[in-house]
Amino acid sequence: MLQYTAIALMMVGLYGLLTQRNVIKIIISLNVLEIGLNIFIISIGYVQDGVAPIFTGVYSTPSVGFVDPLPQALVLTAIVIGVGTTALGLALAKNIYNKYGTYDLDEMKEGQL
Amino acid sequence: MSAVLLIVIPLLMAFLSILSKKVAPYLLLLTSFASFASLIVDVLPLETITIGGFASPYGIELVFDKYSLFSLLLVDGLFLLVVLTVWFKQKKMASILLVALAGLNGLLLTGDLFNLFVFLEITAISAYLISTTNKQPVHTFHYVVAGTVGSSLYLLGLILLYNMTGTLNMSDMATRLVGVNQMAVALPFLLMFIGLGVEAKLMPFSSWIKGVLGHADSFSGPMIAGVYAAASLFVFGRLLDNVFVISDSLNLVILLSLSLSILAGEAMAYSSTKVREILLFSSVAQAGIAILAFMQGYTEFAMLFVALNASSKVVLFMIFGSVAKQLGTDKVSDMSGLFVNHKWTGFGVTAIILSLLGLPLFVGFTVKLGLLLSLFEDQNILFIAIILISSVVEGVYFIKLLVELWISDKAPKVRISCQFALIAVLVGLVLIALGLYWQPVEQFVDQYLYLRGGWF
Repeated sequence: MLQYTAIALMMVGLYGLLTQRNVIKIIISLNVLEIGLNIFIISIGYVQDGVAPIFTGVYSTPSVGFVDPLPQALVLTAIVIGVGTTALGLALAKNIYNKYGTYDLDEMKEGQL
Repeated sequence: MSAVLLIVIPLLMAFLSILSKKVAPYLLLLTSFASFASLIVDVLPLETITIGGFASPYGIELVFDKYSLFSLLLVDGLFLLVVLTVWFKQKKMASILLVALAGLNGLLLTGDLFNLFVFLEITAISAYLISTTNKQPVHTFHYVVAGTVGSSLYLLGLILLYNMTGTLNMSDMATRLVGVNQMAVALPFLLMFIGLGVEAKLMPFSSWIKGVLGHADSFSGPMIAGVYAAASLFVFGRLLDNVFVISDSLNLVILLSLSLSILAGEAMAYSSTKVREILLFSSVAQAGIAILAFMQGYTEFAMLFVALNASSKVVLFMIFGSVAKQLGTDKVSDMSGLFVNHKWTGFGVTAIILSLLGLPLFVGFTVKLGLLLSLFEDQNILFIAIILISSVVEGVYFIKLLVELWISDKAPKVRISCQFALIAVLVGLVLIALGLYWQPVEQFVDQYLYLRGGWF
């Protein structure tokens, strides 16, 4: 179920990228795509009724069904990178607005590009 | 000393360079020189380095073998060349270039697929920032969107592979993929192929290059078309030769899409009237040929091909970028007669272009002939046909361009700085020298053939 949600979110993001012409909306679509991807990565390591992968007095054997910690670590990195890209995209959006006075890619005249 | 320093020191210097804007350009110059010099003087032993004390399949490892040594030498050398021409002009870019150097070295060294993704993003973000010097925010924005979607697809493919094999380490992945059903690997492989194809400028995924490289100046052009392209092609080579084994039907799909990329690239270069567009579409085609050669297992020729192409494109974009900036246009008709007053630059550029075409006397000929001969031995007719057709088309538009630039009544008034002229002449002379005396090239091929198939 989690994976279907993730794939649906990614598709929504892709749809937004393909249909939207507003710079800010494109950045939001990128973020939706990335969130879908991150949920997908988390779902790879997910175990039903799993516990955090730490040996304690209560969970002292590996047979209790630990969740895979690696995808979580990967997602953490991916989120940071995503935030960096979003910040860069927003800075570019501001540049675009300063230069053309609009966020809409269609409203910019052909000769200006 | 260990090869980790190639990544760590530029990264450290990038942080330090933020503290003082005045020192930053000198730090950049020093670091890029040190990184190139350390590769030349052979202080770094060839080894596999485990990071953080975790043994190989669990921890991240860096692979510093002959392949990475060659690619690092090329990429760091070209990086230094570009830095030498711009370090005093683009002072704001110093920190970004240091991050880019760390990312490029990491891309070529890493032996871990997720680590590769991280370095891919680091280099991509610095490439976006480098392309902002064109002052074309909309085109840079397209680049950002295409690049981000590409690396997201790469990550998706990577995580599917992780789910199948339970490892992220490249050599471990290669051993675990041996018995796996090829069709199950097809989806993740294609996703990763598309993701890397965006950066490597393969045809259907590289709509951004016309905007970014078509307006490139003498700094962003050489960086993105030369240094970055070489790095991403070498990454492709690593994955195709050391990790994946491509099955017959998947092989056919990729082969067809690459052939399309080559032929369409040449056709678009043929039909464009702007110098920078001709160059960028010809690099699309060359990238396709290099990846085809990597895929068919002609690693040594692919490496030489990438090296030649990247160093030629660095010089060409440098010169035509600076000329186009002064003229305000890069139409071939406006540039006609450019070399009438700049004979030395013209000599260098002509040598480089003729070598790209693969005419005899130039080293491009030796490499292309070697590749074609080994293709004939393996009876790979489709590939031979594609290379020959693309060479003919390339010949037509490049010779047309050269004639236009040399023979004309008018001569546009531009200044080509003596740095650029010197670089063009030097690279041109090296290409001719290696073409006449090809023992070093031959030796390289023999040595690499002998060592092929292993990590060292």
